Amino acid sequence: MTLKEFKLPDVGEGLTEAEIVGWRVKPGDTVRVNDIVVEIETAKSLVELPCPYAGTVADLLVAEGETVLVGTPIIAVAPEGADVPSPQPAAEAGVDEAAAALAAQPSAPDDVAGDGVVEAGLIGGAAPGGRTSVLVGYGPRTTEAKRRPRKGAAAPDGEPLTPSPEGPAGRVLAKPPVRKLAKDLGVNLLAVTPSGLGGVITRSDVEALAGAPSPRAGTPPGTSAAPVRPGGETRIPVKGVRKMTAEAMVRSAFTAPHVTEWLTLDVTRMVELVERLKADREFADVRVSPLLVVAKAVCLAVRRTPELNATWDESAQEIVLKHGVNLGIAAATPRGLVVPNIVGADAMGLHDLAAALGELVGIARDGRTQPAQMAGGTFTITNVGVFGVDAGTPILNPGETGILALGSVSRRPWVVDGPDGEQVVPRWVTTLALSFDHRVVDGAQGSRFLADVGRLLSDPATAMLY
Amino acid sequence: MSTITLAKALNDGLRASMEGDAKVVVMGEDVGKLGGVFRVTDGLQKDFGEDRVIDTPLSESGIIGTAVGLAMRGYRPVCEIQFDGFVYPAYDQIVSQVAKLHFRSGGRLPMPIVIRIPFGGGIGAVEHHSESPEAQFAHTAGLKVVACSNAADAYWMIQQAIACDDPVVFLEPKRRYWEKANLDREAAPAPLLSSKVVRDGTDVTVLAYGPMVKTCLESAIAAAEGGTSIEVIDLRTLSPLDLEPVYASVRRTGRVVVVHEAVVNLGIGAEVAARITEQCFYALESPVLRVGGFDTPYPPSRIEEEYLPDLDRVLDAVDRSLAY
Amino acid sequence: MPEEPEFVQLLTPEGERVEHPSFAFDGDDEMIASMYRDLVLTRRIDTEATALQRQGELGIWASLLGQEAAQIGSARALRPQDFAFPTYREHGVAWCKGIDPVALLSLFRGVDQGSWNPLETNFGLYTIVIGAQTLHATGYAMGVQRDGAVGTGDDDRDTAVVAYFGDGATSQGDVNEAFIWASVFNAPVVFFCQNNQWAISEPIDRQTRIPLYQRASGFGFPGLRVDGNDVLACHAVTKAATQRAREGSGPTLIEAFTYRMGAHTTSDDPTRYRLSGDLEHWKLKDPLARVHAYLTRHAGLAEDFFADIEAESDVLAHRIREGCVAMADPHVLGIFDKVYAEQTEELAAQQAGYAAYLDTFETQTGAHA
Repeated sequence: MTLKEFKLPDVGEGLTEAEIVGWRVKPGDTVRVNDIVVEIETAKSLVELPCPYAGTVADLLVAEGETVLVGTPIIAVAPEGADVPSPQPAAEAGVDEAAAALAAQPSAPDDVAGDGVVEAGLIGGAAPGGRTSVLVGYGPRTTEAKRRPRKGAAAPDGEPLTPSPEGPAGRVLAKPPVRKLAKDLGVNLLAVTPSGLGGVITRSDVEALAGAPSPRAGTPPGTSAAPVRPGGETRIPVKGVRKMTAEAMVRSAFTAPHVTEWLTLDVTRMVELVERLKADREFADVRVSPLLVVAKAVCLAVRRTPELNATWDESAQEIVLKHGVNLGIAAATPRGLVVPNIVGADAMGLHDLAAALGELVGIARDGRTQPAQMAGGTFTITNVGVFGVDAGTPILNPGETGILALGSVSRRPWVVDGPDGEQVVPRWVTTLALSFDHRVVDGAQGSRFLADVGRLLSDPATAMLY
Repeated sequence: MSTITLAKALNDGLRASMEGDAKVVVMGEDVGKLGGVFRVTDGLQKDFGEDRVIDTPLSESGIIGTAVGLAMRGYRPVCEIQFDGFVYPAYDQIVSQVAKLHFRSGGRLPMPIVIRIPFGGGIGAVEHHSESPEAQFAHTAGLKVVACSNAADAYWMIQQAIACDDPVVFLEPKRRYWEKANLDREAAPAPLLSSKVVRDGTDVTVLAYGPMVKTCLESAIAAAEGGTSIEVIDLRTLSPLDLEPVYASVRRTGRVVVVHEAVVNLGIGAEVAARITEQCFYALESPVLRVGGFDTPYPPSRIEEEYLPDLDRVLDAVDRSLAY
Repeated sequence: MPEEPEFVQLLTPEGERVEHPSFAFDGDDEMIASMYRDLVLTRRIDTEATALQRQGELGIWASLLGQEAAQIGSARALRPQDFAFPTYREHGVAWCKGIDPVALLSLFRGVDQGSWNPLETNFGLYTIVIGAQTLHATGYAMGVQRDGAVGTGDDDRDTAVVAYFGDGATSQGDVNEAFIWASVFNAPVVFFCQNNQWAISEPIDRQTRIPLYQRASGFGFPGLRVDGNDVLACHAVTKAATQRAREGSGPTLIEAFTYRMGAHTTSDDPTRYRLSGDLEHWKLKDPLARVHAYLTRHAGLAEDFFADIEAESDVLAHRIREGCVAMADPHVLGIFDKVYAEQTEELAAQQAGYAAYLDTFETQTGAHA
């Protein structure tokens, strides 16, 4: 016949041990279930423990006055009759866990009034199984920051670990960030070969097709590369900004007689000026670039040839010379070409002009340019140089009489007259292309304007003459 | 700096509010002599008297309805509903009266009432003591709804809620009443209606409030062992939601899981998911996932641990999010 | 509150029979002995369950210590077809209605939320939301009326409904609304209020300024107060009230004046809010002791009668303990089955999904520890 051992149950209060104060029974005594067999001492009070077994006390395993750990057998009971199995109280079963839980912190039960520790079994005191006692249930228990082990390569929640995307036939599968990237890069998703699982287009798929990283602002739009597949075609619906741009181009091109003049210059001094300004503390908070200097040059040159800053009023049959320069900068945005303008650019100092330029470019790059910012322009600059292109034949922004294309600024051989005669040396060289409305601007005016801008770039000191 | 349980922090916060404003009145069942069934109001009646700490008749509708009248008379009632499952007799007074009076009186009748409700499961309780009704209140215009998750927040939030001129449903995670935290009483607290990043991370944003914050923090610890970095945000305020920090986080991580004990269907997570999708669409690498209760009433206590979201369920959702 | 309140009493605390002008106990000594057995066994169920809770086998137990006579007395007056709506403390009524005491424990153990069939046992599920069952009882009684089971004169057909609730419940709107409905519709329902003087920590004077039984007159039906520790008186008044209901005379409010000798639930600490002197005062009015005294002195029952009952209660206690500990935890997947009359597709999907999820773990935990 096996003896039943009663182990010291969880007594809570953050303690893991208790002292045996007094036995109420001795070996040979008969005990019934729930008879009080021992008194133990915790930090604050004496607690009587009821016996979970019925039978005869076989042995007292711990002497009075001794302190033992929770979980230590303290009394052995010979159960009455072989067929009366006595159950283990849950307190015993939970004891080891309880000890571990108490050591784990921070849920050691405590007297919320702050007076001290709470007796086991009362609100906030210990409850069996390592829990804290509440009025209405077993009480909360502590948890561990550990995952339960799973079988093999588990399918969570019955779904495949890599979800297989579904989409209606003919639609591309791409996550929102990838779609945005494609838009920004001007990549048509229909043209991309997906490499992701389930036919999903990945980020790198898009970047591979676009070739270069995202272009900087000021780049003309329309770079949606729809590569020609041998023997096939790609159709892109005309809508949104593309549609508006097309209409404006038509309106402009087929209303105003366009003439384009060219000027190739040594702009080494301009480049030096840009470098100097970049290093200047006053310009530390703005972006200085050749575009900035061109913008300033345009504003100055307009003073001598205001016809480039005008409009042809067909209905009134008048040429309207605008007094201020609302300088438009052609910008490529996620949605297409926009031409926001800097109002009163001519009245701004170089620093303010740089700030305005930077802001305009930033807003355009985010696709946030508002329609109001695109209205009322008087002259436009388009920077084709960032693509490495020499020059172009820009089309006037409808209603304007002049548009200047700035080509790339690159090192080219130049004839320089020096003390030792003429020499061919590498210089910073660029090409400007000015298109103008020949109804308003004649060749002399156009040429003079272009020459003025050119001189300001090749010799910035001539700004002093204005 | 002291280490204090959540219940004691609430007790201290209530005490501070009562000391600071003689119009603050605490009322509820067993809050006075007994000090509350979780001892949150322990000692208050002894120090502030029976007129300011009221043991009420057993009548939830009465507690809230009379609070309306007290508020009109210039008092600031702090009502206790003893358990979440017992708020329903008072539901009419809350949604028909407390929530609407400021509006319908054209602002003449402010309702600076705090309704404290111990909520959530995990205490092995019998029926009606483990509910999560927060979405119902958040869905009601005119109420503010907040949930503290730890002792430090509890101390400040209860005081801020009492000082707020709008009615506040103040949810207390009852399974966390005995959790301790460090409390710095000199620190300047965060605004009441603000969410908070409680653990920085880079791979997935996990949102929680009330009792699930600790579960999510433990989940983050376990996940870190597996090489996944989880950012945990404690929403703290459910109405109004403070989601700007959440959006900023999601724009960095691209992935988000919302966790609450309440039923997933039409829970707080649903609203949060909709807003994140609107505001952070281009940043989302995976859909917003939610972890929460099933569409059944709360189960018997012997199986509640398998019903409630736990660390494994949270991390399972994190895994699924990362798999996209 | 008067020191010695006015109420119907037929058996004094000392065990002496007394008469009352309006009520009499119509049973014999054999019946009293039988009721004594019920009292002892009910108390033993309660004691054992309290011990089981302390040992962590139950999450909670709502003790009826001190209220045995109110429950046994009233329940023994019910006919089999009468339906009783309990709160969560009516273990004595459950006993009389034939509910296996082990079946009572499953709710408190957290294994289910009510394991007996109310329609078979005519005993409602335990209701923890305070007072809600009084409206249910009134509605049930209205159904009884529509079934024509009132006032036929057939003792086996005419049906009364009893709603049990406590003193705290009388402050809830639901209870007062039930009074209104029962009176307006003349419903065959007996409102049996066990005024045990306490609602957790709040004393009766927090719920009422007048004796509770007097409320009834305000609602338009009779009320009376009975000594809740007197099993004979409780039986007599309940028999009379249920007879009234059966005949079609409508509701009655019975206030059984008793005392909650134990705590609200096992982790409540009554020393925080009441005096030990009160407890001592009420110990002198113990419901079991007075019947024991009567049976010894006047019914000629000897020690062996009482010893037999003690032995029987030991056996019962043992069976309860065994039954409690052996109770299997439910499987969590079962919660998806009975939400609706027919499981919805959505719930079936949730169940299947969760089953698949649980299957991914190496070991299945019975997560309760």
